[in-house]
Amino acid sequence: MELEPMDEFEQELRQAFERWPAPPGLKRKLMERRHKPTQRSWFAWPGFAASLVSVSLCVAAVLTFYGSHERQQEKERREGEDARQQVLTALRITSHALDHMNQQLAAHNRANHESSQE
Amino acid sequence: MKKRIIALVFCSTSLAVLGLAQTAELPASAPVEKELAAHASNVDEVTLGKNMLGLASAFMKGKDKDDAETRKMIEGLDGIYVRDYEFAKQGEFSAEQVEQLRKYYETTEWSPIVRDHDSKTGESADIMIKMVNGKSDGLFILDVEPKEISIVLILGPVNMEQLGQLKNLALLGALNGAKAAPSGNGKH
Amino acid sequence: MAHDWQPDFEQLVDEHQSMIFSLALRMTGDRGLAEEIAQDVFLELDRSLSKIESAAHACFWLRRVAMSRSADALRRCKVRRVDLWVEIDESHGVRVEERISPLGARLEQLLETLPEPQRAALVLRYQEDLTPDEIAITLDAPVATVKSHLQRGLKLLRAKAANHLKDYVRQKEFVRGA
Repeated sequence: MELEPMDEFEQELRQAFERWPAPPGLKRKLMERRHKPTQRSWFAWPGFAASLVSVSLCVAAVLTFYGSHERQQEKERREGEDARQQVLTALRITSHALDHMNQQLAAHNRANHESSQE
Repeated sequence: MKKRIIALVFCSTSLAVLGLAQTAELPASAPVEKELAAHASNVDEVTLGKNMLGLASAFMKGKDKDDAETRKMIEGLDGIYVRDYEFAKQGEFSAEQVEQLRKYYETTEWSPIVRDHDSKTGESADIMIKMVNGKSDGLFILDVEPKEISIVLILGPVNMEQLGQLKNLALLGALNGAKAAPSGNGKH
Repeated sequence: MAHDWQPDFEQLVDEHQSMIFSLALRMTGDRGLAEEIAQDVFLELDRSLSKIESAAHACFWLRRVAMSRSADALRRCKVRRVDLWVEIDESHGVRVEERISPLGARLEQLLETLPEPQRAALVLRYQEDLTPDEIAITLDAPVATVKSHLQRGLKLLRAKAANHLKDYVRQKEFVRGA
């Protein structure tokens, strides 16, 4: 797809938005996380293991509920912000259309006035 | 060629019933809008029903003055339908397509109050309002410029005075003002 | 489907870490968060490496995931810069001292005040030199929408940058006169 060449401001933007170098420790931390062994603990006592599983399930249920509640709130916040932006877009377009119409009508009135004076 | 103007006329004419229903429901897009979108270089589409307007309004509570003004403007509305088509150059749409748009939205419920057409430039301005029991219950604007077509349909009790204050909203004023900023040689 | 390209994870990290970090930083405005996002993106790449078919695919995939995670992180942030016309404070994400031009530093700050969809489009356009079509594919959005975001975002930045230049010139004149 052909694009118009960038103007001066856009060139300024390109320069301003050059990539930042990654922080020096990023790769090291990443590789550490990547190679971190998963820890597994095995317990000899079935009773203890069973309790641990029950507790884990309860915690998981609570976290899932909390997680989904948070996700729901986040979703609503996102939707609210999206709706707000859409309202602003609609009003902006309306304002522009009304401005243009006012200009048109004003120009016509002027033309009418001038021709009636001839 | 002289412009033809029919301004500030409330008339009930018998027109074909198309598009808009009796209840305040947003219309489906006119078939010609797809053609316009296909040729447009930039399209803005906003479709907000009563629920979404309520959500937007709730989201603006407790925020700044501009948000408070905007919220007043949209409170009580049943819907907003806006389409804005920008074209890279003139001649990307025809007078027939504009007429199709106009006919699609013009039904018996709507009374034209502004109709300004310039056959020389192709520019036109149409405003219609919907009156129910002597009160405004909707506003329709069709603004046609050489490289832009804007359709605005607002359902519900529209406060015309507030609409006139749109320019005072800093957020919108900034965006409108930004259009006049020097753009250099480039274009998006 | 068999493909000849053999991915080397470390090489991909070396090649793309600044791209991912920069995308995340410009989207979130937070260095710590950007670093975290960058790590998460690469770890996800590690898990999905078998699905990557080429170097170009890897680059596209990384950009897409970075933008998606950055957008998610941004939405989770409690502090939102919703009012576009309030003078912003220095955030801890600003790297003014590293910038050559004051306008460049200001543009970075101004970018953070834009709504997320406009910010995303501008970053991909001017940091990554992507076309609107490529941006649309990366963000999984219609091209017309992307163009709209680019146009609006650019207009806002121009207006704000113009205001900044006026202030900048005024300050310089003030200093000269002092």
